[in-house]
Amino acid sequence: MASRWWRWRRCCSWRPPARSPGPGSPGRAGAVRGARLRADAGAQVSYFNLVKSLTSAFPNMYSISRFQHTTSAACCCSKTRSGEKYTDPFKLGWRDLKGLYEDIRKELLISTTELKEMSEYYFDGKGKAFRPIIVVLMARACNSHHDNSRDVQASQRSIALIAEMIHTASLVHDDVIDDARSRRGKHTVNKIWGEKKAVLAGDLILSAASIALARIGNTTVISILTQVIEDLVRGEFLQLGSKENENERFAHYLEKTFKKTASLIANSCKAVSVLGCPDPVVHEIAYQYGKNVGIAFQLIDDVLDFTSCSDQMGKPTSADLKLGLATGPVLFACQQFPEMNAMIMRRFSLPGDVDRARQYVLQSDGVQQTTYLAQRYCHEAVREISKLRPSPERDALIQLSEIVLTRDK
Amino acid sequence: MSLRQRLFRLPRNLGASGSPRRLWWSPSLDTISLVGSWRGQSSRSPAHWNQVVSEAEKIVGYPTSFMSLRCLLSDELSNIAMQVRKLVGTQHPLLTTARGLVYDSRHNLQLRGLVVLLISKAAGPSSMKASCQNYDMVSGIYSCQRSLAEITELIHTALLVHRGIVNLNELQSSDGPLKDMQFGNKIAILSGDFLLANACNGLALLQNTKVVELLASALMDLVQGVYHENSTSAKENYITDDIGISTWKEQTFLSHGALLAKSCQAAMELAKHGAEVQDMAFQYGKHMAMSHKINSDLQPFIKEKTSDSTTFHLNSAPVVLHQEFLGRDLWIKQIGEAQEKGRLDYAKAWLHSTGCRDSRGYSQPAGAVGSRRYEHAHCLRTYFFSTKLRLGNFTGDLNFVACQIYILWN
Repeated sequence: MASRWWRWRRCCSWRPPARSPGPGSPGRAGAVRGARLRADAGAQVSYFNLVKSLTSAFPNMYSISRFQHTTSAACCCSKTRSGEKYTDPFKLGWRDLKGLYEDIRKELLISTTELKEMSEYYFDGKGKAFRPIIVVLMARACNSHHDNSRDVQASQRSIALIAEMIHTASLVHDDVIDDARSRRGKHTVNKIWGEKKAVLAGDLILSAASIALARIGNTTVISILTQVIEDLVRGEFLQLGSKENENERFAHYLEKTFKKTASLIANSCKAVSVLGCPDPVVHEIAYQYGKNVGIAFQLIDDVLDFTSCSDQMGKPTSADLKLGLATGPVLFACQQFPEMNAMIMRRFSLPGDVDRARQYVLQSDGVQQTTYLAQRYCHEAVREISKLRPSPERDALIQLSEIVLTRDK
Repeated sequence: MSLRQRLFRLPRNLGASGSPRRLWWSPSLDTISLVGSWRGQSSRSPAHWNQVVSEAEKIVGYPTSFMSLRCLLSDELSNIAMQVRKLVGTQHPLLTTARGLVYDSRHNLQLRGLVVLLISKAAGPSSMKASCQNYDMVSGIYSCQRSLAEITELIHTALLVHRGIVNLNELQSSDGPLKDMQFGNKIAILSGDFLLANACNGLALLQNTKVVELLASALMDLVQGVYHENSTSAKENYITDDIGISTWKEQTFLSHGALLAKSCQAAMELAKHGAEVQDMAFQYGKHMAMSHKINSDLQPFIKEKTSDSTTFHLNSAPVVLHQEFLGRDLWIKQIGEAQEKGRLDYAKAWLHSTGCRDSRGYSQPAGAVGSRRYEHAHCLRTYFFSTKLRLGNFTGDLNFVACQIYILWN
């Protein structure tokens, strides 16, 4: 926990310089673009150029990111912002999540031993529970914004369970699709029980999540979370194809990132806000926060695929390249090394492609630029959530968006 | 009353003249006898089948294209179609499933939806609540019930596609390159998930949490049922599980009955019918689907030539009943004897060996045992059939067509 705090303090320092670019408020541009991901491809093109020009105009900016290992004395202390002392957001969130995994296992009412074992395999309490934490913190932040009642409603806590279940169901299917061998430091379901059964386990978790969702008894909430399931599938489809044009490619990548990762966080944040507060403005704040944090989370995930070693991640690294996927760092690196274009188009399928691409990425500033982009999204998330009335949970969400940037696993 | 007792009692009831039956299901009796006589004729001919289906389609208003245009025209589906094309020439089972979707759609796949529509029309609007009169109704069926029928098809098809995933570590060299199989799995998962996502979307649009819960639990049942089916068919050539007919019924309900039962119930819920009608609809859907399964289990035993290579599952209804009848030990012994005679001719040998031991002393061994097993399962089916007909509020016409569909489907 101490180290988290430390990392948080370290990363705070990006904020003052990040505000200085001023013109056009790029953070806002990013948010607007994100909201129109599907409809408006034109904005995406200019956004990519904007990011490029920003990063080149402020070359020092990313040196203050997680890659700077010196102490930042100029840390701005947001400690005083809400007048309350920060605690670890994970610790704060866990207060409402005690027995999370037991409760999820209770939802998986299955009589067959093996099927039950498979479905419960990832609910072993060893995951980060990043999504449930955000969801309960958002619930409390919205509740206290609305009428100062900070307790989490039972239905809101159910959303935390459901979010984790939908996430896990998609992991199980993704691992079959990618033929992955390990996750969270253990073998994947498909490697232990085979693909046939793994797919059923995924379907089963999804059906259990849908039952729990229906039992909340709110049709709006059902529609909101159904959107997630659709986005997850569409995201997976986007991942199948690749685009020739580099601007299109970047937009494609961000859209995929939104659908595969951010949609779940954004929509479950929205769902708890709907349950806790009737004001549509608050629903939009919750959605925007979740969306921006979600995209930042995935961008950092893509960076870690290059910078982290496999022991830390619990899964092999360079995994994306091996799957033929060009993520943020690769797309940025491709700006500096156009010879990567051919590799991207053939999905790193020739022998040596993966290693060469990795070298190119590490030589380029692709990693830094992706991290910088993630910072922009986090900045936007903080800007959104700050519109809510102060509460320890709101501040924990601010802090959480910064932890997203500094995490190393 | 145990099932066996019921089985032995039923033939007497049913075999006798019409009078005892009349007390049971008086309004529908004419239909039964009609249907009975149809059975004797060439009721299984495809032409007749199509005639009945189109009659049913006329009743429900318009043809059964449940996979909605919205779904068919989407980018994702054309993407799937493109990817599936790459699989041509490989051994992946997704190809067979996809072929079935195209060529067999009028036979098996959309029938669940058709049943949901038929029961929706049969039940009609609820007299209790006026509110649902605002719903738009075409040919006596609410549009939400039509969506439900489509969702039922989507869920069924999704699981059909997910059933066809192959285990990569069990591949034989005859299955072709590993890469093809990996790719096939990938597309199968994605397309199944795509269909499920569409189903979820459709469910959310119905704006009824009880219906969402019903269909979600039907999905859960179905997944568990498919799991059981997979695990028993994996050891197909080995030996039967020691399950009685009650376990068989539970598992078959999960794999075959739950979806139709719960969809029929949900259709009533959408029309705001009360618990009693909902329960009747549930029973109707359940027994319809169970009868279908029993009948297909019976096929290898009632075909003329048992020497055909028609394989049967050792966990099919007649076998399970037979095992229960003989007792486990004797059964295992018989199987052992049959297996000694070689696996290829397994079915025939098995029938023969059990046939010889038949105490009734029928002259044709296979036929003898076959007929007794047939009798058992036939009773079981009749039992389901009778429960189904106790549905009170079917109009004569509809019931007629529903029964025809039932008989033909089975």
